[in-house]
Amino acid sequence: MRWRKAVAAVAVAVVGTSVLTTGGVQAEGDDVGAFQQTRTIERVFDEGGEQRVVDTRDFTVRVDHTQNLRGRERVRISWEGAHPTGGRSTSPFGENGLDQEYPVVVLQCRGRDGKQPRPALELRPETCWTSTVQQRSMLQVPDAAAIWRSDRFADEDERGALSGIDELPSSCGGTIDGFSSHVTPFVSAATKAEVGKTYASCSSDTLPPEAAVDAAFPPAEQAAYSSKDGAGDIQFEVRSDVENESLGCNQETACSIVVIPIMGISCQQSDSRQLNAACRKEGRFEPGSSNFDGQGVDETVSSRYWWSESNWRNRVSVPIAFGPSPDVCSVLDDRKPVGFYGSELMVQATLQWAPDYCGRRDRFRFQHNVLPDLASFELMQKDEIPAAFVSSAKEVEGAAPTAYAPTAVTGFAVSFVVDEPGNAGERTTLRLDARLLAKLLTQSYPASDMGRGHPGMGSNPLSITADPEFQALNPGLDTAPQETAAVLMSLSESSDVIRGLTTYIRQDPEAWAFVSGRPDPWGMVVNPSYEAIALPVDEWPLQDDFRPTVTQKCLEANNDTPYLTRLAAPVTSFSKIADALLDAWPLAQTKCNGLGTDQFPYALGRADRQGVGARFLLGVTTLGDAERFGLRTASLQTTRVLDDEQDFTATGRTFVAPTRETLAKAVAVATPGRRGEPFALEDGAVRKAGGYPGTLVVYTTAKTAGLDRATARTVASFIRIATTEGQRPGSGNGYLPKGFLPLTRTGSTAPLFAAAQRAASDIEGQTGATGGTDGSGGGDGLGGGAPVDTGAAAAPDPDAAAAKQPVDEQLTSLASTESTTSAFAAWFLPLLVLLLLGSAVAGPWIRVRAARTEQP
Amino acid sequence: MTAVPWSGPGRRRGAGTLKVALAAARDESRVPERELVLSSGLMVVALLVAWVLLQALVLGGLSYDRAQDRLYAELRADLAEGTAPTGGVIAPGRPVALFSLPAFDVEQVVVEGTSAGLLLDGPGHRRDTVLPGQAGVSVVYGRSSTFGRPFRMMIGDAVGSRLDVVTGQGRATYRIEGVRRAGDSVPAPPAEGQGRLTLITATGQGRLGSLRPDEVVYVDASLQSKAFPAGGARVNTIGTSEQKMARDTSVLPLLALTLGGLLGAVVAMLVARRRMRPALVWTVFTPVLLALVWFAGDLSMHLVPNLV
Repeated sequence: MRWRKAVAAVAVAVVGTSVLTTGGVQAEGDDVGAFQQTRTIERVFDEGGEQRVVDTRDFTVRVDHTQNLRGRERVRISWEGAHPTGGRSTSPFGENGLDQEYPVVVLQCRGRDGKQPRPALELRPETCWTSTVQQRSMLQVPDAAAIWRSDRFADEDERGALSGIDELPSSCGGTIDGFSSHVTPFVSAATKAEVGKTYASCSSDTLPPEAAVDAAFPPAEQAAYSSKDGAGDIQFEVRSDVENESLGCNQETACSIVVIPIMGISCQQSDSRQLNAACRKEGRFEPGSSNFDGQGVDETVSSRYWWSESNWRNRVSVPIAFGPSPDVCSVLDDRKPVGFYGSELMVQATLQWAPDYCGRRDRFRFQHNVLPDLASFELMQKDEIPAAFVSSAKEVEGAAPTAYAPTAVTGFAVSFVVDEPGNAGERTTLRLDARLLAKLLTQSYPASDMGRGHPGMGSNPLSITADPEFQALNPGLDTAPQETAAVLMSLSESSDVIRGLTTYIRQDPEAWAFVSGRPDPWGMVVNPSYEAIALPVDEWPLQDDFRPTVTQKCLEANNDTPYLTRLAAPVTSFSKIADALLDAWPLAQTKCNGLGTDQFPYALGRADRQGVGARFLLGVTTLGDAERFGLRTASLQTTRVLDDEQDFTATGRTFVAPTRETLAKAVAVATPGRRGEPFALEDGAVRKAGGYPGTLVVYTTAKTAGLDRATARTVASFIRIATTEGQRPGSGNGYLPKGFLPLTRTGSTAPLFAAAQRAASDIEGQTGATGGTDGSGGGDGLGGGAPVDTGAAAAPDPDAAAAKQPVDEQLTSLASTESTTSAFAAWFLPLLVLLLLGSAVAGPWIRVRAARTEQP
Repeated sequence: MTAVPWSGPGRRRGAGTLKVALAAARDESRVPERELVLSSGLMVVALLVAWVLLQALVLGGLSYDRAQDRLYAELRADLAEGTAPTGGVIAPGRPVALFSLPAFDVEQVVVEGTSAGLLLDGPGHRRDTVLPGQAGVSVVYGRSSTFGRPFRMMIGDAVGSRLDVVTGQGRATYRIEGVRRAGDSVPAPPAEGQGRLTLITATGQGRLGSLRPDEVVYVDASLQSKAFPAGGARVNTIGTSEQKMARDTSVLPLLALTLGGLLGAVVAMLVARRRMRPALVWTVFTPVLLALVWFAGDLSMHLVPNLV
């Protein structure tokens, strides 16, 4: 069996690479697998025994990256040459995209196109994921309307009265004369234990479990629109087997994104005039028009029949490859992990770095556990963890000398999901200044009529969408107030990101004047609870205590939490904010649940997901998450020339988006501290240089005195690997993902690189001189600058470092399982066995020997 | 089967002297006093150790099965009467739940409490956590190497399989998600209205791993069915003897008394031997000695860490 697997793997690899090399573009560093393919697509009618090509187009698909994808990552898919879409629905997702004419259907499917070594590996409509019955099945359709049976490219079976399945399950109704049914079953991924299961997918109880009505994840498949010139551009979210076990895409199971431009069914001549006419329709909506109220469309050109051979044969299939699953290290490596704790900014980078450590015997098993910066720094000082990731200098009482090694340049982003009015798609750029962020953070928008009663800010605009300042910077958006557009989704924990964000507000003259109590040019004032709050802070406080007068019973029962606090509902991690943006699902706890009975008391739950077409959400995320999930990021204002507040426009103001260039500009002005100390990244200097204000440098910090030699070596080897190999851009194991600026020996990051190398040798050598503190905490025996024989290959001893896990019960429960061992348990059974063997042998032996020597 | 003559013609010379030596050793008078005492002492030690091992690994299984039968009957009666505990403070040792692994055809009755002695009878539910099937995290300890080794299969083969739990509140279904060792990340606390069951036992690694279960492992199972409401306030602290890998030293006085009783029985037997026929002596004293030794062995298992 093993050789079969090997042959299959080689074949898949060969097919995969040949597809990629024909269409792929080699990126710098690691290949991210950009894809491009052009093919001719056509629609053909049979007329009086002749073929007439009614429509032919050259369809080109481009995908920005296809390699090492992770669950929920979004790839950018663009195309041109499709038929312009008419009757656009507001949401392209799932069944909502069915009532459109000439859309482009994009699906995630298991398998690869072309001949595969095993039929199970082939790409078929049956392995393509959709979330609803309507997308797969046509049930009991009158024969005269069953246009798929007129498909000239379909084979005889497909044109039968019942196709796709031998017999309809009872829940899907029976077969009736004069009516036709088609079912596209879904075949789930085979696991080790069982072969793929077939779901008839013709009723709600024959769907795969992930397609349940209230599934954890909203539909990802789209019927996207093409503009009047036939071009389109979408972000497509891929699902791994973690999110969708039935689809089952992972590192081993090859999958594809299938792009099907709907051209309409190619019709054969049928006996029924009615069927001929229905099949040959060419759409009743104008290209570019919208279908807001879900009117009927000409089905033959709708996405309903994506599975028909006429449409399916026009597909472009894009092979995609998933990266290792997040728990790959616990499978590959049974050594104890060495836990580095700290900043969530590093998560996307360490996700790619960790497999490059645990797969190798000459390295240790690296693990990154997210913890607030300051808390992890303190744990590191207490010797409970080997090293901490932080983004700014930390002051801890009685701190031992510590070195800060720059490890990554990244930052935070204000990510958004905002729809253009009039069904014109998604807004791709947004401009924000520090005052708008200050207004959001200080909860100065009353949000709704309930908040209008808030003392001191009754005349403020209800939400940012209604704020003239926001409208001036971002013209053309819907100006109606929205409750969830009154807040910025943010973090409840202490973080250097919140410090960076509040520093940006503090350093901006307009924003600071607003926070200090001066109204903005339109008369909007700061929420009195936050007036003159001392900035910057590490943790954003929830200070508002306004409880509106409510009449609704459910709200009355839950009026203890202040209204604006419920709306802000900060969360504990940036990844939750990224998920909320992906799903357009506000964090606000404002939805009333329950009946008011003892059994179902009134409770406030999370607000509903926003409908596509009317989305407006802003949230603070890490740059790594924003790039991984394809979130749109706002440009932040850096400088302004005009000081004329009477006429507030975007002109004269500079807005900077987070890109590698603007991150580089920002760190270019960072001034180095003393040896081993962090760099000073002055907000003012960054802005003048045109750098991105959200730039942050993440440092690996470790003690340079009092650390045992093995741990010191482990940390030093991590810094060296992370700042050299770990800085190659790419999506593979050990590479640096997007959203991070690589540290290099030359260029604007050279000082950071050099500082990292110096810090690594200080930590390894335990020179203990940094910072000039009295050194009372360190220098016990191993300090004192004992030189380490660097000549020997740096094979760090992971066990010693792994032993450094926090012992505090409460902290460990945040991160890793504590180790409990018992020496008694280890030895009592072996000792008993040894004792038994020993005495059972020695007893008779002594007796026999004595008897022998007594013998004459 | 033909009997091979014990002394064939082709035997080596050394074996001849061994035979003579064995014959000599059998005769007590030909062995010096000191060696005789030493040798007999070692044999007694070997016998005792053999008994402890036998009891821990083999006879313990019998007593475990018997305890399970008793607990099963008790739980069944409780369930039938509707008096099975659903929360609050439950007396240690009382059966609270029935675990069944359909894939392995295994059923285990879980008792309340996690001290070493209670875990001799079955898996023990930690008293400061919610009961299995209820919303929240429920923790159950079980032995992996001695006394029926109830949690041995949980560590490896059971991952991915279904675990059914019957309690006074009804039937709950769990899915065993995975094994977690030191350093692995702890799963997030279950969401509102969700439940998790964490099974804790011990295992060893490397050579002789099965003989050295020194490391605590955690097996997490997620509640698939609807969680029952947690009933009544639980105990909010537990004693040190109920922690992971804890020993229960509270039995030491009882153990001392039992050993004293054992000594007394042996002395009585020696005295009786002078006056009665040997057959009678053995008939009278064997059950007494066996019971005392068994009881002492059980008590000494309290001193072994509770997860072993």
